[in-house]
Amino acid sequence: MTIQGNRAQTRELLARKNVLAGLLFMAIAILGLWLSRDYPIGTALRMGTGYVPRLLCWVLLGLGACVLVQGLREPPGGPGADVSLGWRPLVLVAASLVLFGLTVERLGLVVAILLLTLAGAYATRGRGIVETLLAALVLIALCWGIFVFGLQLTIPVWPEW
Amino acid sequence: MELLQNLALGFTVAMTPANLLFAFAGALIGTLIGVLPGIGPIATIAMLLPVTFHLEPVSGLIMLAGIFYGAQYGGSITAILVNLPGETSSVVTCIDGHQMARQGRAGAALAVAALGSFFAGCVSTALIATFAPPLAKVGQSFGAPEYFSLMVLGLIAAVVLAHGSVLKAVAMIILGLLVGLVGTDGNSGGTRFTFGITTLADGLDVATLAIGLFGVGEIIANLAQPEEKRDVLAKVTRLWPSAEDFRQSWPAVLRGTGLGSVLGVLPGGGATLSSFAAYALEKKVARDPSRFGHGAVEGVAGPESANNAGAQTSFIPMLTLGIPGNAVMALMIGALTIHGIQPGPQIMTERPQMFWGMIASMWIGNLMLLIINLPLIGIWVQLLRIPYRFLYLAILFFCAIGVYTVNNSAAAVLLAALFGVLGYIFMRLDCEPAPMILGFVLGPLMEDNLRRAMRISAGDPMIFLNRPISLGLLLAALVLLAMVMMPNFRRGREKAFQEP
Repeated sequence: MTIQGNRAQTRELLARKNVLAGLLFMAIAILGLWLSRDYPIGTALRMGTGYVPRLLCWVLLGLGACVLVQGLREPPGGPGADVSLGWRPLVLVAASLVLFGLTVERLGLVVAILLLTLAGAYATRGRGIVETLLAALVLIALCWGIFVFGLQLTIPVWPEW
Repeated sequence: MELLQNLALGFTVAMTPANLLFAFAGALIGTLIGVLPGIGPIATIAMLLPVTFHLEPVSGLIMLAGIFYGAQYGGSITAILVNLPGETSSVVTCIDGHQMARQGRAGAALAVAALGSFFAGCVSTALIATFAPPLAKVGQSFGAPEYFSLMVLGLIAAVVLAHGSVLKAVAMIILGLLVGLVGTDGNSGGTRFTFGITTLADGLDVATLAIGLFGVGEIIANLAQPEEKRDVLAKVTRLWPSAEDFRQSWPAVLRGTGLGSVLGVLPGGGATLSSFAAYALEKKVARDPSRFGHGAVEGVAGPESANNAGAQTSFIPMLTLGIPGNAVMALMIGALTIHGIQPGPQIMTERPQMFWGMIASMWIGNLMLLIINLPLIGIWVQLLRIPYRFLYLAILFFCAIGVYTVNNSAAAVLLAALFGVLGYIFMRLDCEPAPMILGFVLGPLMEDNLRRAMRISAGDPMIFLNRPISLGLLLAALVLLAMVMMPNFRRGREKAFQEP
């Protein structure tokens, strides 16, 4: 087989759901093992901090390998053959939450919700800015009504100068 | 007559104006999210956990329970009128329910679904009241090894009975267990997987994880695919089913209720499994199976009764043993622990007001749902016209504010974003996130019981096999796993979740 053929084949394998899932599980397990490398293990009688985490990581590593093998042995073109991600909503929805989290304590609810709505709104296409601002306004009012006025939570509403 | 006394106590708790209000709020929110596709009870309950923090524990539980069974009622409305499942548990209702609607029998289908659900709700409430106390007694006799084995069985069964790959589901459980370890180890005082972040030293809470995985993850998943075209069949005439409909549906309601009640108690059971199984059963017992798919009223009556029965009886293991059978119950346990209540068999004796009040409220809530559903059907239909692109902004907002208020920490919102991304990726890879929540909630309990068992036996793992009850539970788990490996069973399992 030519090199190009090999590369195409690898790409096809890497797009399979089970292959990716197996690799993801294994990566998480290896990360866990690396993070817990210094945790004292102890004995079964006196378990240290690292006993259970390391045990679980090894099990996860094994399971991940099984899923990976399962994925590699599937006939090509099966039902789980191709994974595509919706990058636009993925990035923007996550970004809107991150913006909210970074701003809510320093800049207050009004700014944080405004940022959340603006970033969140761009996760889909075809929405006017007026519509988005209106939505933000409604949500700010709702939030103030439920959490600040209703439940009496101490959340900063305006930026602290 | 202890039962009647207990129920009387329950009704005095549930009938206080505040608790009636929370039961109503729960039922209303449940119906709302049941009607709206794209948001399910798991995400909603997770988002409302912070609110229950400020309520009495019993009021909070009453509201959360109302959301869960209310969603079963609401899901059928969308299934029948729009041919979209409002909830996964009403997927099968689409098949015959929507056909009935096309034939101009939408009113009859809705009424049969609601009445069947109500009947199932009453029966399963009675079942909880009858069977919970003896089960809790059994639970109280369990020691640490038995509890550990019971949790193993629960987790395995949850995986076997759920759909999708068993291997991946087990991996998701392990992942949940690992995430549950984040924070300070109660035993040795060392911190685990905290990356030096102070917020993480106290551990993650279930609301952050669930809001991220389900709330945020579902938003991304919904936005990534084009919005479904919704053809709302608005004309609902004649809400009352005909005599013929009644004659055909009441045996199906009985069968659905029975089947749902049994399947709900099993770990991994609950509403979705019950409704699929009930549809298959109706088709099997029908004299003329070819009617199914063309508006057979039994195809609505059976699954709709079953999903409500299953939703409610899944409270039994949670309330009596402290073991969650599905993700919603895991969140209920989270709600209890927020209030500092240790879930387990002692709840019934230590907090009879809460226990019986919640059970009584289930019956009241079902009655309310009947009233909310049928006469107000027009309003629910209108809600279906709200496009998702407005809805998701509100959901996103509730996710953010929910995570922030429950932890009082802005860093938790960032974590929820991370779990949202992970949740979406897992969904795309056909890894169900629900078992992860189960593992997360059971993890600390399992570790605790494992440690205690090891201390009892002086470090000898044989203790799990020497004790007869523990051995039996582990063997049952082993049998379940072996069954999944067998090709015949696997085929049957795959078939059970396919749309007929």
